[in-house]
Amino acid sequence: MNRNAIAISLDLINRHYQEPNRNRYESRYFWEELYKLISASGFSGIEIPYEPVWQFGGRSGVPFNRYCVNTKYGNAANYRSLLSVSGINHVTGITFDPNMFMRNDNLNFYFGATGHFANEALAHAADLDADYFAISPSPYYGRIAQYHPDIENMKETFTARTIELLGGLASKASELGVTLVVRNEYWSLFGGERVLPLVDALPDNAKLDLDTASLFVAGGSAANFLETQIDRIGCVHLTDTNFVDTQQVWKTPNPEFPSDYATQVFRDPGTGSVDLV
Amino acid sequence: MSNIRYANMAHWKAIPYRKIKNFREFYYEDNTNSAYYSSWDHILKYQSALGFDGIEIAPWDLADILPLFGSPENFTQFAKDRGVSVIGMFHGAHASHAQDHFEEAVRSGREAVDTIVKFGGTYMNTCPTQNYYGTGPLSREEVQQCAKVMNEIGRYATDNGVKIGLHNEFFCAINLPNHRELIELTDPKLVHYCIDAAQIAIMGEDLLKFYSDYHERISTFHLKDTASAKQPDSVRYAQDPEITDDGTRWFWEPGQGELDLKGLYRLLKQHDFKGWMSIEYDGSPDLLASMALTRYYLDNELRPIYD
Repeated sequence: MNRNAIAISLDLINRHYQEPNRNRYESRYFWEELYKLISASGFSGIEIPYEPVWQFGGRSGVPFNRYCVNTKYGNAANYRSLLSVSGINHVTGITFDPNMFMRNDNLNFYFGATGHFANEALAHAADLDADYFAISPSPYYGRIAQYHPDIENMKETFTARTIELLGGLASKASELGVTLVVRNEYWSLFGGERVLPLVDALPDNAKLDLDTASLFVAGGSAANFLETQIDRIGCVHLTDTNFVDTQQVWKTPNPEFPSDYATQVFRDPGTGSVDLV
Repeated sequence: MSNIRYANMAHWKAIPYRKIKNFREFYYEDNTNSAYYSSWDHILKYQSALGFDGIEIAPWDLADILPLFGSPENFTQFAKDRGVSVIGMFHGAHASHAQDHFEEAVRSGREAVDTIVKFGGTYMNTCPTQNYYGTGPLSREEVQQCAKVMNEIGRYATDNGVKIGLHNEFFCAINLPNHRELIELTDPKLVHYCIDAAQIAIMGEDLLKFYSDYHERISTFHLKDTASAKQPDSVRYAQDPEITDDGTRWFWEPGQGELDLKGLYRLLKQHDFKGWMSIEYDGSPDLLASMALTRYYLDNELRPIYD
């Protein structure tokens, strides 16, 4: 097994939701200590979520976008050197989701802002010598519905503009030597196997992201997905869950936190019901 | 009725649930305290139980609050049902020093006022422009431009029943050399001032002298303490000064720093201040503990001076 291909996502740290002592996640010292712990655990690669929110918040200690990395380390090369000294010699991928840009009823704003920052994130992925750039093709279904109650009627338009956006990113990714992969989170307009026709409409160099837990929640089987789509899977997110969505939680405003019955949707691999073996 | 009513500036980051209907089941998911910090129902009840019957929301909360509650009015009613009023919202008037940004800065300020009105709030504490780093020092014309924007937003706010209060951060382009200049350039009928006790002390203002000089302009407070007053230019003008690399805290709960807050309360009594005061806990590792510590200090040390 090529252990260099297995990375820990920094997404394992909860940056968004409140808990006691959450504030330490905003300072540089926390992350620099974490890199060493990841390395000591036997992982030499990390995956980094790209989150523009830290740029607007000015919380540059959180290394989750180009602005923060440049502020704290001068440039991506210096950041990679710091990672290397900490035992992390590979940023396998950058992930990007456009949720924060779904904040009003203006689709031009959503696609404009998403395009701008996704391009920025893709260039940052290249600077970090990442293998892939994994993008969520839509915000939460429930967040779109908040501002576009006619979401079902506008699906065609939304899909066409998404294809245009992702197609441009796929071309740029090719030029930069990065693989664009499309995520299929269960809460997406393109969740589960609904992502397939979307990726069919993209250039061949755009690949699929197999997120095992998301596929399970959306009612699919990771093993079947792997078998049928093996030629175009660009990366795997090895995630686990016990959650069975019987009440269309995927359509709610905060789908990772089902409102009617509290549960942790995502679990450590091996502690849920996904057939990972 | 007390002379001062107390609110909390919301620094809870995102709260994922409106209400957890099956709290016991939630607890047994992981046997930790995460359930205690995951719903607005709980957060607002903590506030109410500790005597903070107002909440000031932050614009960065809106992206999560609105889908969760459906509308500002729904959130306000939900809070009211738990004994908490929305008193207002913070607003950052980005780039208001720039002449070519005038229309955008005013439009954004007016939209924020409209949002506050929907939440039933009456205060908009407003940072006059962005960080010093990359922007400052401002020319006299740029400070005047900031004032022009504040007056314009202030007029719209006043017409809609909202008071805007200038709220300066210690690392802003409006800084010690031009802090009072900006205040003097704004119209006192339209633009008020929110004293963030720690921010202005770190910037280099003397808290008691500043309040004495401007007590007629004060609309509200962000009450917090600091042990780091009068920082040098090299800190205030640095690229990323607010969140420190090593975890050093600028801001502490009232009574845990070095500010003369008892002196402030004696002045509040002297000038007969009546209204809302928000406590702000940015930097706290445990917001609920900070809230309780603050309530103890308020009731035992500060309120007896005036109430």
